[in-house]
Amino acid sequence: MTTSGISRRGALRMFGIGALGMAGVGALGACAPSPSNSGSASNGGDTKSKDFDFTSWSLNEEAARPAIEKIIAAWEKAEKSKVRAVSYPYNEYLSQLTLKLGGGETTGAIHLDIAWLAAVAQMGKLADLGSVAPKGGYTDVALKSGVYDGKQYGLPWNTGSIGVIANSKLLAKAGIKKHPATVEEFEDALRAIKGLGGGVVPYAAATKVAQLKDIFPWMQTFGCTLMDGEKVTIGDDASVDAVTWYKKLHDAKLIAADVDRFDARALFGQGKAAFYDDAVIGKGVTAAQSKDKTLADAMQPMMRPVLRSGDTPQALLWGGVIAIVNGKGQDAATEFALHTTSDLATTSEYFTSRALPPSTTAGLADPKVAQDTFTTEWTEKITKTATGSPFWQFAQNAQIEEAVAKQVQAVLVGKSKPKDAMRKAGEEVAALIKR
Amino acid sequence: MTSTTSTPLSGTGRLKQSAMSAGNTSRRRMRKDLIRSRIAAWTAVLVIGAFGLLPVYWLLATALSSPEDAFQFPPKLIPTHITFSNFTALAENDQLIKYMINSLVVASITAVLSVVVATYMGYSFSKFRYRGRRSLMHMVLASQMFPQALLLVTLYAVFSSFGLLNTYTALVLSFTTFTMPLCVWMLKGIFDTIPDALLEAASIDGASRWRTLHSIVAPLAAPGMIAAGLFAFVRGWNDFIFAVTLADKEKQTLPPGLVSTYIGEFQAAWPELMAASLVVSIPVVVAFMFLQRYLVGGMTAGSVK
Repeated sequence: MTTSGISRRGALRMFGIGALGMAGVGALGACAPSPSNSGSASNGGDTKSKDFDFTSWSLNEEAARPAIEKIIAAWEKAEKSKVRAVSYPYNEYLSQLTLKLGGGETTGAIHLDIAWLAAVAQMGKLADLGSVAPKGGYTDVALKSGVYDGKQYGLPWNTGSIGVIANSKLLAKAGIKKHPATVEEFEDALRAIKGLGGGVVPYAAATKVAQLKDIFPWMQTFGCTLMDGEKVTIGDDASVDAVTWYKKLHDAKLIAADVDRFDARALFGQGKAAFYDDAVIGKGVTAAQSKDKTLADAMQPMMRPVLRSGDTPQALLWGGVIAIVNGKGQDAATEFALHTTSDLATTSEYFTSRALPPSTTAGLADPKVAQDTFTTEWTEKITKTATGSPFWQFAQNAQIEEAVAKQVQAVLVGKSKPKDAMRKAGEEVAALIKR
Repeated sequence: MTSTTSTPLSGTGRLKQSAMSAGNTSRRRMRKDLIRSRIAAWTAVLVIGAFGLLPVYWLLATALSSPEDAFQFPPKLIPTHITFSNFTALAENDQLIKYMINSLVVASITAVLSVVVATYMGYSFSKFRYRGRRSLMHMVLASQMFPQALLLVTLYAVFSSFGLLNTYTALVLSFTTFTMPLCVWMLKGIFDTIPDALLEAASIDGASRWRTLHSIVAPLAAPGMIAAGLFAFVRGWNDFIFAVTLADKEKQTLPPGLVSTYIGEFQAAWPELMAASLVVSIPVVVAFMFLQRYLVGGMTAGSVK
C-alpha cells in the first residue's frame, strides 16, 4: 500500500509543482488568443452594425426591467434592429463589466453608475461622446457627471444626489417649524426629536462601514475638500472636526450604532427616525416598506445643514450614465443612448415608472416631473449644489471609501481618537492612490 | 420485621449496612453525575442545534413575512402575520425555474464527471506504481491551495478563446476543476483500504484490470463514490462567482440568479429571497437525507487503515 503522508521533501515538491502549474495555467491564459484587440482602444467589429448589446444592472431588477425592456422593444421596432440585453447583479456589476470589457466580450451601450465612470474610462475602451452630447439638451450638472479627464464618456440618463430626507410629521411633533439650516440648528433639532422618546433615533445616519462614505459630505460641510489637487486632505482640522461632531452625535444617541441604508429606511419607515440620507428614489423605496401609508406625503428633501450661514450645502452627486464601447454597433448604440437619455416621451415615461429624475432641461420641465413636488424640490434644494467625489477618478475608489469608513467607525466605537484616525485615514488613502 | 428493626446490629450487620449505605450514596452520586452529564449533553445539543437551526428558522420566518413585517426594526423573532404570497410569487417566476434547471443540469454533470474522472485517477494513484505518481498526486492536492477567484480571470480567458463562454461546458469544467482534487484524494483513500489480494484473486480468475475496477473495486467503493458525487454536486449547486462570470442569463444557475432577481441597487426583496432560498435548498436537503449514510461512510472510509 502506498502512504499518503506528506514529507517535507514532498511538500516542497508539491509547492514547486503547484507554482509551475499555476504559471502554466497563467501562461495558457495569457497566450490564449483574445477575441478582441485588447491592447487597442477598439473592441473591433462593425461599428455600423444596427445590432448591439445593452448592458445594465437594472435589467435584472423587477422594479426597473419592464420599463427598460419597453424602451429596448420600441427601439428595435423603430430601427428594425436587435438589441441584446446583458445584465449582472448590481454588487457584481463593476467587476464583471471590467473583466468582460477587458476581454472584449462587452460591446455596444453600457449603463454605468457615475461613480464607476472613471474606472471604466481608464480602460481606454469607451467612445468620446463629446460631439453627441450637445444634441441631448442635458443640464450642466448632469453633463458633468459623464465627464472624465475632460472627455464626455457618458450621456447622463438620470441625475440626482444623495441628500437628507426629513419626516415632517415627526418634526412638527417635536415643535420644529422649519428645516434646520446650520449644523447648530440641526443639533438642536435632533435633541428636540430625541425628547419625544419612544426609542426614536433622531438622525438615522450611516454608522456601518458599508455606508459610512456618507461622512464625506459632512467632512465637506466642515470645510475639508477631501483632495486638493493631487494631495489628500483627509486628516486636516476640518475632517477631524467633522468626525468629532459625528462622534458627539453618536455618544449623545442622536445617531445610532450599526445603521446602514437598509436600517435607516426601516427606521424612517416606522416613524422612528426623523432624518436619514438617501437618493431621490429613496422616497418610493422607503414608503413602500412602511405600514404608514401617509409617510410618503410626510417625506421632505432637506438641504444639508451648513457650518456657517451662507455656506454652500453639500451633497454627493448620484446617478447613471450610458457609455458606448468602441467597436461593434458603436454608431447605433450611440443613437440609442441619446434617444434613451434625452427623448422627451421616453424620459417622461421612464420617470413615471421609476421616479428617477431625467437629466435634460426639457425632461425636468415636463409636467409629469414638474408636478412631482418631491422631485422638483430635491433637484432645487439638493442636486443643484451636489458634486461628485474626487475619489471617483481612481479605480481604488471602493477601497478608499472603506479605508476612511473603517477609521470613522474606530472613532465611533471609541477605539481611536478623531485626530489619529483621520491622519491614518489620510495616509491610507494617499497610499491607495499611489498604488 | 419489627424485631429485625429493633434488634441491635452485630458488627457484620453494621458493616453490611455501612456498605449498603456507601453503595446507595455511590449510586446516588452516579445518578446525579448521569443527570448532570445528560443536562450538559442536552445543553450542548440545544446550543449547537440552535446555532445551526436558528438561521434556518430565520429563513423560514422571513419567507413567511410580508415586506413590512420583514423590515421591522428591531426585528421580530416570530412573524405576526403569516403570508404564503412569497412562495406563490416563486411559482409565477419562469426565470427562476430556468435557473433551477440550469443548476440541476450543471451540478449533476459536475458530480458525475468528477466521480468518473476521480475514480480512475484515485485508482491509478492507489494501485499502480509509476514514475511521477507522487508528484502528480501532490500537484492535484496543490491545486486546492489556490484561491478559486485567482483562477477566475485565467479560466475566463481560456473559455473565451475557445468560444465556450455562456455554455454549460464552461460551468461544468470550471466546477470540476475545483471538485476534482478532493474527490481524487477521497477515492484514493478508499481504494487504499481495498486489499491488493482481492485484485490479485480477480487477476488469477482471469479478470482484466478494467473488469477488476468496474466489477470488483467500484461496487466496494460505492459509498465513497456517492460521497464524492454529493460533494461535487453541492459545490456546483452553490457556486456563485464562476456562474456569474462564465454564464449569461440563459445559462446562469440559481445563486447568481437569486441575487440578480432579489438584490437590487436600491432594495432587497428579503422575504421573496428567503422563500426562494428555502425552496431551492430542498433538492440538496432531500439528496442528503437519502444519501447521508453513504456520505458519512464514504468520507471516513479511507481514514483508518
